[in-house]
Amino acid sequence: MASNGPKSQSQPSDSTSAPPKSQKTMSKQERRELQEKQRAAKEVAKAQPAKGAKAANKPSQASQDNQSSKKPSKAAEPSTPSLGASASAKSLNATSASTSQHNLTGTEAFGLRIFSHFGAIKHPSGPAKGDIHPAIVRLGRQFAEFAITGANARCIATLTAFQSVIQDYSTPPNTTLSRHLTTHLSHQINHLVGARPMSVSMANAIKHIKVEITNSDIDMPEQNAKDELCHKIDLYIRDRIIVADKVIRTTALRKIQDGDTILTYARSSVVEKVLLYAHSKGREFSVIVVDSRPMLEGKGLLSKLSSAGIRCTYILLPALPSIIDEVNIVFVGAHSMLSNGAVFSRAGTAMVAMMAQERSIPFVVCCETYKYSEGIHLDSFTKNELAPLSVSIPAASSEEVQSEPNLQILNPLYDLTPPTNITAVVTEVGVIPPSSVSSLPFALGRQFI
Amino acid sequence: MDSQVDNLIWKLRRRQIVGSRLTAIETLLVLRQYITKAKFTTIDQLIQKIKGIGARLVAAQPTEPVVGNIVRKVLHHIREEYKTAANKPGSSIQSSAFSLRNFVVSGQPRHQATLQKTEARDHLTRSRSDWHHDNHAESLKPVIMEAIQDIFDELETVYESVSKSAKDHIHSDEIILTIGKSRTVESFLKAAAHTRKFTVIVAETAPSYGGKSTAKALASAGISTFLVPDSSIYALMSRVNKVILGAHAVLAQGGIFAVSGSLMVATAARAHSTPVVVCTGQFKLTPLWNLNNEYGSADIENPDAVLGFDEGSLVDKVDVVNPYYDYMKPELIDVLITNDGDHPPSSVYRLIKEAYDDADHEL
Repeated sequence: MASNGPKSQSQPSDSTSAPPKSQKTMSKQERRELQEKQRAAKEVAKAQPAKGAKAANKPSQASQDNQSSKKPSKAAEPSTPSLGASASAKSLNATSASTSQHNLTGTEAFGLRIFSHFGAIKHPSGPAKGDIHPAIVRLGRQFAEFAITGANARCIATLTAFQSVIQDYSTPPNTTLSRHLTTHLSHQINHLVGARPMSVSMANAIKHIKVEITNSDIDMPEQNAKDELCHKIDLYIRDRIIVADKVIRTTALRKIQDGDTILTYARSSVVEKVLLYAHSKGREFSVIVVDSRPMLEGKGLLSKLSSAGIRCTYILLPALPSIIDEVNIVFVGAHSMLSNGAVFSRAGTAMVAMMAQERSIPFVVCCETYKYSEGIHLDSFTKNELAPLSVSIPAASSEEVQSEPNLQILNPLYDLTPPTNITAVVTEVGVIPPSSVSSLPFALGRQFI
Repeated sequence: MDSQVDNLIWKLRRRQIVGSRLTAIETLLVLRQYITKAKFTTIDQLIQKIKGIGARLVAAQPTEPVVGNIVRKVLHHIREEYKTAANKPGSSIQSSAFSLRNFVVSGQPRHQATLQKTEARDHLTRSRSDWHHDNHAESLKPVIMEAIQDIFDELETVYESVSKSAKDHIHSDEIILTIGKSRTVESFLKAAAHTRKFTVIVAETAPSYGGKSTAKALASAGISTFLVPDSSIYALMSRVNKVILGAHAVLAQGGIFAVSGSLMVATAARAHSTPVVVCTGQFKLTPLWNLNNEYGSADIENPDAVLGFDEGSLVDKVDVVNPYYDYMKPELIDVLITNDGDHPPSSVYRLIKEAYDDADHEL
């Protein structure tokens, strides 16, 4: 949109400066800290009524304390990996906050605190702050309502939206595209992160784009530079996702024999492609789909597979031990791979891996290389996300459990499968054991994925 | 009076009685009624009659082992009372109670210990032949009634007895994981909550969602509770200090039948070296072995709860499995807390020998 251009000129560094925020735009935690500080300051002022000047300084002092405390509170929420700019939580209306879950007060019981670093649940953002591109606004809404789920789907949607953003961008005077576009994009990204924490696939793709932007030729006319960037994005999607999936499904086909019983968990786009491809190639096999709350995504996969004519069985996770003896091979997808070979995937995958390992059934993870993540997590707590109650599928016989004071509902979305439970990882560069995952970047000739 | 038995049989068939303890109490009531009105000349007759009833009751609901257990318990008490009564006069007490020969010959050491008679084998044969022509069988009724009342009291107080040791097993600031709906576990945790402050994570247990009512009950008792879906059990296990489960039945090899999902919880606990505690009543000890199906369930439930008809076209094309119970092997369990104390699963065989008679294993 042409209207976005002039606006971006006037507020170029919106995300880096931090003016004192009004109460409406602070997160719940920050507001509470502010209240505590105000309360504490009030006590001090009461004890020393002579120092009237302190009372006047309270609001500004509190807001400044808030700025400095914002950083530690952000650090305590590792579920929102920041991309340089601090992720600013969007406007949380008091009403929407009170209807849902955690009240992380300072006086809560011990047990509740140990899960507090999962982070406060983010609610669908209110009116977007600043000049967010409409495509990004729409995308943020879709993420927050879980209309788009899955690492690949989110990544492709993000990149497509960025193509619109880049096309509608115009360089402000006194700066170049290669220097300024990154900042502009970061601002858009913050809006997305506020809607839902970024996935590793999105993060890697964005890193790639930023490198491409920085490397773009300064002398090129603007429209050519923009077209070139959009083309690079198309290539990234094509090479790292679409074609990679094609290679993965061909490789995985070699692992499927006639008469096999294949088990899969929840819904992975890659595994779906593998199974449909194998079926189209004439392999005879049956599939057991294991599903679980909170997202119950397996049902979608089930309808896709059975309408393609594959014989399917559907069970919930607790029933797994009763039928796992009949399984020949397990295929699952991944959100990301860690450098120690562990796989970060939908909650419940770790249990399927554990049961398969016990029976010596091969547990195969299908994952593209762009999902590789450099860090190492030791357990599922370090980085995880909680599904908002409004989005998780309600249990069939649901009684009202939200109303109890001592009761909290947690719906972690991810868990970590240790490398010992994984037999092999199928990537577009071949079938590798989990211990070789850390050498992927080097094998591909890059410093990072 | 036979109609009472028929009544119970129909109730069991239609699954109108839910819950092991309730089933046990109902069975005991019917048996007590029966014995009050029964006429028999020898104790053997009574035993055979009760065995017949027991066989019918068990056939009515084979997935509820508690029924058979209560029948066996009553039989065991009857035999015991009879022996004590029959051997009171002329008892020459010899304390050669634990001679190895007698142990090998008779095979029931505890059986010997309760008797205050000589352990000689010929005495055994004499008393056995006594059963066939016995003149004071009827007069034994009040004693039998007392014994049945003892069983009643045990059943009534099972929750309190199991919870007695609760505060020794649970420490402050511990995080406990449990699954499913078990009243025994609930009362265990509530008893500990009187003196300790801890946290409980309850897994939902799809598709019966028994975990939800457990979570609600615990939260209203003032315990800080987290309700999580089954998918996050492995993820949370690294923070859990103990796993406490309830059992549907305890089998002779030390394994248990428990609600579907318990096997995964116990396996995840093993992977993290977390202790697994099973709270159960003594009446759930079953002298049967699980030979048919290593992991399979004793009971398959309605698949509608998993994939219902509201899914439309999927229903014909897709198979759905909804087992209700899991079998957990004894290696996965660390301790069984019963109203009779704490026992490792390896000594379950001994508890069963003490509680029931060998002749009653097959009703």
